[in-house]
Amino acid sequence: METILVPYTTDITLLSVLKLVVALVAIILLLIANSVVMVYLERKVAGFVQRRPGPYEVGPWGILQTVADTVKLLGKQILIPGNSDRFLFLLAPVLSMFPMFLMFLVIPYGPILTGLEVNLGLLLILAFAGMEGLAVIAGGWASNNKYSLIGAARAVSQSVAYEIPLILAILALAFQHGSLDLSVLNRAQEGWIWNWNIFTQPLAFLIFVITCFGETNRAPFDLPEGESELTGGYHTEYSGMGFALFFMAEYTSMMLVSFLAAVLFLGGSNAPVDIPLINGVWWTLIKMGAFMTFMIWVRWTFPRVRFDQLLNINWKWLLPLGLLNLWVTALVMKVVGN
Amino acid sequence: MIDLIASSAALMNASATGVEALSEMMLPQLAHDIMAYVAYGLYVLLILGGGLWAVLARNLVRAMFGLVVTFMGVAAMYLLMASPFMAFMQLLIYIGAISVLIFFAIMLIKNTSSGEEVNFPGPLQALTALISAAAPLVLFGPIIVMNAGKLAQTETPVETPLAELGQGLIEYYVVPFEMISVVLLVAMAGGVLLAWDKRFKK
Repeated sequence: METILVPYTTDITLLSVLKLVVALVAIILLLIANSVVMVYLERKVAGFVQRRPGPYEVGPWGILQTVADTVKLLGKQILIPGNSDRFLFLLAPVLSMFPMFLMFLVIPYGPILTGLEVNLGLLLILAFAGMEGLAVIAGGWASNNKYSLIGAARAVSQSVAYEIPLILAILALAFQHGSLDLSVLNRAQEGWIWNWNIFTQPLAFLIFVITCFGETNRAPFDLPEGESELTGGYHTEYSGMGFALFFMAEYTSMMLVSFLAAVLFLGGSNAPVDIPLINGVWWTLIKMGAFMTFMIWVRWTFPRVRFDQLLNINWKWLLPLGLLNLWVTALVMKVVGN
Repeated sequence: MIDLIASSAALMNASATGVEALSEMMLPQLAHDIMAYVAYGLYVLLILGGGLWAVLARNLVRAMFGLVVTFMGVAAMYLLMASPFMAFMQLLIYIGAISVLIFFAIMLIKNTSSGEEVNFPGPLQALTALISAAAPLVLFGPIIVMNAGKLAQTETPVETPLAELGQGLIEYYVVPFEMISVVLLVAMAGGVLLAWDKRFKK
């Protein structure tokens, strides 16, 4: 319980400002690098899953494909559909990308390496994740296109529904460790591998993984952008950098949930086995990468679910299971804790 | 070689003391004050501007985004008053859920920009609006005036620990806390009742 009572340092020192600036620049570079690598990786993995080579023309093994795509996207004209809400249309892609920088500030990359020390880091991430849905609404509605609007409506009902089991799963962890500070949760999993929350909270991990796919609009829950039904979903009307920003936001939110999975459930920066030179930050990055690869693998393995199935899984299974998990956790904590 | 190691060690020492000196370089109190006032002004502008945008917008979705701006201003104001928990809860619930719910409500009804909300409201409607706008002032005004001396403070506000906040909610303030959920229950019952009525008329 003591960890909650640690007060913030509200004093602004030059060092803290400097640290914040350095962290922001590093995060921006990380997010751009992540998008470039992930687009290539996704296409390559998709190729291998479907027994074809994937991109291989540009550069050796096609590794420069993303660079070519980026240049192409940058050079494209930004089209604004007629009779649309110009202001919201242009605001939406920016709004989808902007809160991401803030959320990456509070993630503990190593035992002491974070951009911003906040004792409510988990809550901060959940709070700003809600703005993603807002950006999708703005984009889908402002496009003045029925496909975009249906895509936006789907995205919203999906993200609102999947947020609840996600929060319930994370709340069980907060119950267990008595903190919403990600660094504290990271440190609480020190020691043996069975201290990791994936072993102490397996049901919460299962719920978390399923809701991750729902929250990031990834297959098998990618109904907001179901190409076969909606020609592209909420970003149908976007071209050039507008589309690129939405695309980047998708990969960034993927990385965010992967970091959360690594820090919350997979032991964070704690090593499962001692390997020289690989410690702390590297373990977080390895676990994050593994979870992201898992997400890509799932996308190319499972077909898209129907919309009623999507909502039924959430309201009839994940929500009761999440409540049960929370209840059992509270009971165990009360019995063990006292 | 030894010289090099020695000089680099000296350099590291120097940089360490440099970092220490940097971390001890607090901004003067005046700078803190100015920043607080600038932030306060900015957030007030956000709240009022968002509210005006919401009221004056010709389109319901645009009005909703005005409301979102107001919510953000309020969240920022909580942050300025050193209650980050309230700020994040404001963002999580009002921006993440309530505004999305409003969007859904707008989608379910006919949304044209030539609807009745474009016309200027009649005198009775304006009067009702004025009364409901003044109601909080009448309710909270006396409390604020009575406690003006206690509320006015110039020092930096101190953050309430989360545990204390939770304990307050389930111990001392448990009755108001539960009453709020009764209000929500009544609202939900009202919604069901409205839908029920429609179903039987068909």
